[in-house]
Amino acid sequence: MKNGRAVVLVVDDSALIRMGAVDLVQSAGYESLEAQDADEAIRILESRDDIDLVFTDVQMPGTMDGIKLAHYIRNRWPPVKLIVASGQAILDESSLPLGSRYFAKPYTDHAITDAMARLLAKDSAA
Amino acid sequence: MPTKSTVYVEAPSTLAVVVFSNEPLLFLSADLKIIAASISFCRAFDIAPATIVGRHLSALGDGEWAIPKLTSLLNATASGSARIEAYELDLKRPNQKTRQLVVNAQILDDGEKDHIRLLVAVTDVTDARAAARLKDDLLNEKAILIQEVQHRVANSLQIIASVLMQSARRVQSDEARGHLQNAHHRVMSIAAVQKQLSTSKGGKVPLKAYLTLLCESLGASMIADEDRLSIAVDVDDSSVEADVSVSLGLIVTELVINALKHAFPDQPKGKITVSYRSSDCDWTLIIADDGIGMPVGRAAPKPGLGTGIVEALTKNLQGELEVSSAEPGTIVTIRHQADAQDQAAVPTAA
Repeated sequence: MKNGRAVVLVVDDSALIRMGAVDLVQSAGYESLEAQDADEAIRILESRDDIDLVFTDVQMPGTMDGIKLAHYIRNRWPPVKLIVASGQAILDESSLPLGSRYFAKPYTDHAITDAMARLLAKDSAA
Repeated sequence: MPTKSTVYVEAPSTLAVVVFSNEPLLFLSADLKIIAASISFCRAFDIAPATIVGRHLSALGDGEWAIPKLTSLLNATASGSARIEAYELDLKRPNQKTRQLVVNAQILDDGEKDHIRLLVAVTDVTDARAAARLKDDLLNEKAILIQEVQHRVANSLQIIASVLMQSARRVQSDEARGHLQNAHHRVMSIAAVQKQLSTSKGGKVPLKAYLTLLCESLGASMIADEDRLSIAVDVDDSSVEADVSVSLGLIVTELVINALKHAFPDQPKGKITVSYRSSDCDWTLIIADDGIGMPVGRAAPKPGLGTGIVEALTKNLQGELEVSSAEPGTIVTIRHQADAQDQAAVPTAA
């Protein structure tokens, strides 16, 4: 949380999709950060402690794809909520950390903001 | 009556059958000496036919057939305690590639119970296995390629959808925002087909699943109060070609958006029903609402892009469009009749 607003880190290697996701996050009233791959995402997560949710793509260049990144984050920063989006229509949700949400691309803005609100509400209720 | 003799002479016909067998074949005594071998065997494994009769199996060629496991299996077969069925082994020869063999062996049952002989069929499956592996590799490659294409299509659609929604969030004019949101709905309607296609087999789209997903998505982004407005989907178990489903999906998208926007200005409750029925080549798509009904005559609004899309796609699907009043509400029916098409195909004077 930053100034009472949830902080969401968007991870996607496509600049246009990342831009759209950042805009979506801001329009939903959250603070946004962005990374173009898993390595950059981890550097950002290491550099600050106010990130509440990571919204990541699956297929990305670099040392980790989005699924590995999700597991890495769950292990290292357990409280951070996770939303994963992929161009793959069928993705076995069991391959993701428990409690994370999966959406096939193209996702609707509504579906993502709704999932973010629910995940972040759980957090504040805890 | 024949008396027991140490030398046993095989019938010439038996030997001839072995020698001319199309399948590589060995005819062995109980102690695994060659009585006869087929020409096909000698040719397949580079063995001079003249040198083999009377030799032990393990002395064939350069000794490459001295395979302990094979010898013990053949001995067991000769003693009647085993039978070799499709036993696989590798034949290794110096300076040659290893061949994969499938061996079948059995006792020749010709009534001579005291005189055991073995028929051993040896099939070289190396090339067949390599071809099967190649086929598997190609199939895997194809699956990966299709996945890659689907991934790219999904990403491209995501870029289009994202750009449209960013524009919609930025524009000041409500009308312009409406147009951008409609464009976004149209893109998502086509994307939903893509999602169905990637999970369905044979390139056909199951309409029930598709239209349900589509209407859920439209409802989620356009209906603020779910207790007030609802969309029901009543579709049979039809599956249609991808391009037909794209057209049907876009028609449903336009008509549902239109009903959500205009049919219920002040109604406390409203329901839109999307139904599809087919039998043989005929089908009917109905989008009905229980709202205020369509204004007619001078009060009717100018047809917009949505109307144009519905009309063009209906024509494309060789259907007929009918708008009727439901008291309350409006019923839009799109009907395709195969018989009607045959008549329509006859050119008429303008």
